[in-house]
Amino acid sequence: MTNISLKDIYIRFFRIGTLLLGGGYVILPLLQSEIAAKYEEITDDEVCEYYAISQSLPGVIAINTAVFVGYKLARTKGAIAAITGMVTPAFLCIILLANLLAQVVHVSFVQSIFTGVGIGVLALLFQAVNEMWKKSIVDNGALVIFFASFTALLGLKILPMYIVIAGILLGVVIGFFKGRRA
Amino acid sequence: MILWDLFQNFFNIGIFSFGGGYATLPFLYNISEVYNWYTFDDLSNMIAISSITPGPIGINMATFAGFKTAGLIGSLVSTTAIALPSLIFVVLISKALRKFRENIYVRSIIYVLKPLGCGLLSAVGVNMFINNFLGENINLYNIVFLAILILISLHKKLNPLFYLGISAIYGIIAGLQGF
Repeated sequence: MTNISLKDIYIRFFRIGTLLLGGGYVILPLLQSEIAAKYEEITDDEVCEYYAISQSLPGVIAINTAVFVGYKLARTKGAIAAITGMVTPAFLCIILLANLLAQVVHVSFVQSIFTGVGIGVLALLFQAVNEMWKKSIVDNGALVIFFASFTALLGLKILPMYIVIAGILLGVVIGFFKGRRA
Repeated sequence: MILWDLFQNFFNIGIFSFGGGYATLPFLYNISEVYNWYTFDDLSNMIAISSITPGPIGINMATFAGFKTAGLIGSLVSTTAIALPSLIFVVLISKALRKFRENIYVRSIIYVLKPLGCGLLSAVGVNMFINNFLGENINLYNIVFLAILILISLHKKLNPLFYLGISAIYGIIAGLQGF
């Protein structure tokens, strides 16, 4: 464990961050080839478990997974190296593109591209909602929660943060009753 | 102090956003309403660019929003702030992983937060639709084009690049034709 270098962790997560395109779903095979296959300390099963738990934690899933792996390899320092590696390519690309965009955004040709892309973005959101729907609407209770949070944000304009806090409290209440019944 | 506000807002996203990828959107949308850091239209461009650049989408959008707000320093602040809660949470629970996963409270909270996150994202989508499609420049072609894309997405899950590529081409043609 002592001979794992932070630089190595950083470089591996830099590679994963670069190859991570079009949503987080490709991260698992990347973790298996870049991490589980290279470090004795982490197995394929562990990587899968980290990814599964990361999905049930708040925050960016890929970052959660990076912290798990980095922490296992070299404690807090390793976790920070993993996060930094994962974030660097994303950060550089966005800075570059945001700068470029700011310079060309007023060109009418670029404007018509982005008018069109706005439609594609809505289709993307629809696809994301559809995916989430399949995984989350497991019974009528979940359906009620869906419509409650939808209405709370769109109709009542309640801050998302408060809606989530209300959801956590509701979860605690449900957990309490389930725990008593068991 | 804008950087402190930025830090607080993105730290909150790191704590309260749940469901990955686009789950940060309801929060970014809320920020666009409360502060004048970026507009609702900027948000649409941010989603497009974040979806086709390397890296986790949540990080891409945080970096972009921070950059829009306060340049390079802003993007450093927002990116650090959104990742920080992950570091804290994961380090705290990684000692008792299995216990955490099987805990009845944790399971119940996840049961609630999944459909809740789905509802929040739907609300943002509907709001974007109303804003872009049903405003003063209501356009039948655009609505038909969106309907086609949605039908395709119901049939098969496709890479974001497909939707954004084909809609960029549509935008160019629409611009040239003037509709």
